[in-house]
Amino acid sequence: MIRARTVSRRYGAHVALHETDFDLREGELVALVGRNGAGKSTLLSVLAGALVPSTGTVERGVPTGWAPQRPALYSRLTPRENVELFARLARAPGTDVDLPDRPAADLSVGQRQRLNLALAFLGEPRALLLDEPTAALDDDRRAELWQRVAALCADGGAVVFATQLHEETERADRVVQLHGGHVE
Amino acid sequence: MRRTALLLRKDLRVLRRSPLLLAVLVSYPLLIALLLALVAGYANAKPRVAFVDDDNLPERVVIGGRAFQVERTIRRVGDDVILVPLERSEAERQLRSGKVVAIVRVPAGFVAQLKAMQRSPQLELETTRGLLASRVTQQMQALVYSLNRELQGAFIAANLRYVDLILHGGEGSFLGRRFDVLGLERAEDRVRDPEVREFIEVAQLALDQTDDALEATANPIELRVNAAGGRTWALSAQVQAYALALVTTFLAAVLAAAALAAERDERVLQRLARGLASLGEILASKVSLASLVAAVLGLGVAVAFGVAVEAAGVEGGEPWSRVPALVPALLLAGAVAGALGALVATLAREARSATLVAVLVVLPIVFLGIVPREAAPAAGWVSHVLPFAHEVRLFDALLYEIDPWRTVIVEAGWLLAIGVVLVAAARTLMRRLTA
Repeated sequence: MIRARTVSRRYGAHVALHETDFDLREGELVALVGRNGAGKSTLLSVLAGALVPSTGTVERGVPTGWAPQRPALYSRLTPRENVELFARLARAPGTDVDLPDRPAADLSVGQRQRLNLALAFLGEPRALLLDEPTAALDDDRRAELWQRVAALCADGGAVVFATQLHEETERADRVVQLHGGHVE
Repeated sequence: MRRTALLLRKDLRVLRRSPLLLAVLVSYPLLIALLLALVAGYANAKPRVAFVDDDNLPERVVIGGRAFQVERTIRRVGDDVILVPLERSEAERQLRSGKVVAIVRVPAGFVAQLKAMQRSPQLELETTRGLLASRVTQQMQALVYSLNRELQGAFIAANLRYVDLILHGGEGSFLGRRFDVLGLERAEDRVRDPEVREFIEVAQLALDQTDDALEATANPIELRVNAAGGRTWALSAQVQAYALALVTTFLAAVLAAAALAAERDERVLQRLARGLASLGEILASKVSLASLVAAVLGLGVAVAFGVAVEAAGVEGGEPWSRVPALVPALLLAGAVAGALGALVATLAREARSATLVAVLVVLPIVFLGIVPREAAPAAGWVSHVLPFAHEVRLFDALLYEIDPWRTVIVEAGWLLAIGVVLVAAARTLMRRLTA
């Protein structure tokens, strides 16, 4: 579904991600683990197409959703307006979000993360790239998220998620360890 | 196009939710325009000029039998400058320190030379270097012209008395010597030779015409000054053009810079770059936002200015029929300034820096456009490749020139060319934002 070959990413002199190959197959749930600054977010952003790799290529064969670690949304718009705008830009059907009708800047951290995830699910993607998706979510919302992820994988979709939590890696079919920008 | 429109709608919605920002964006350039007006007003203020009287000018001098209030005449120049009577040394000290911009000195023997009517006495003018000095020089030249105008009447009257003496004879004096003159009339009675008598008749006729001829020679052309009911400086066409260009440039540049930088601050740019909107479409939405807002607010400023002009009963009034023609010009000017703002945003690291840099970039552009070319030719050349001066000329032509289209085409062409360069540069540098 997603195929990356010799992708790397540098910021000036600093190499955040060394040349890496990565494949995401149908039905797969992959966990990315590693210390802070290991290159998890960089790899996810490159796979998502949000960052241009310094070297290598990424092929995405299916619609791909992306939820960055820090929510990427318009803070002066309400959740509904955010969803509506991104849905229309993607020519995808909108979705209801159970969030307060006030600017995203005024939402709690957890509510903003839920909006971030809602945007990732827009357009019924077949592959999902989630960067620490459960951070700031309460238990119910975490359970709800993992249910949706499991349903997608069961339906032939695939998900890659970055996490710092050991118990979350146990859900994964495959765990990819990153260290200093290298896949180990 | 559809994506650009969607992003533009979003930006307008965000802007509507930021009334304070909008108020600041409108009021700040208007405040600057007001300050510029004050500074320009100061530039029009009377300069201080030292008046050094080494001849102890009397209040009244009789020249050619006519009385003159010399000091009063000299002080009449105070209509244009502030004359400060000073001792010579103090005047020179103040000239060096810049407290006065010039010294006018009446040298010793000035009145005596004037009374002798043999050689022109001299007033001495010493100035600093700078813009005000040239103004003072012009005013002093005007003063000397004015004095000469008054004196020449006396000089002509004195000359005519000599002519009268030659015609009719009598007692007169010249260079302190008194003498008795026979005169042509009496000479004619005593001459028998017909040819000499004929010459005397012709000479009499010619000298009879001397009066008018001398007056006409002294004043070949006279200037009659009528008080006009024109606009005050504050409501002049030039100020309106400056205010429109200032609001447009400032508002559009800052707005576009802030809007584009905010996309990056909120990390939305990366989400958009995933195929939701191209960098070109994002740039187009910011330029469109700047253009649209500049047009709406610029039009508001023009209408407010027009209402003020009407309320003040200014002669000529506001050219209301031309106001609609401002719309495309404002759209163009706003788009060019928006492209400038977008370019700034690509260079800054985040929204606050982008906004600050946009302000810092716009202000010198504005000032370069305001500096008169005569005062600083280099400023004129530089501002030629910047949008502000072209905007001023475009708005001024659209509102007040009888046949504005040539100017409009030239200035709009310049703006278009500058805009294309700015958009191309911004588009190229935008890759940095997602790279």
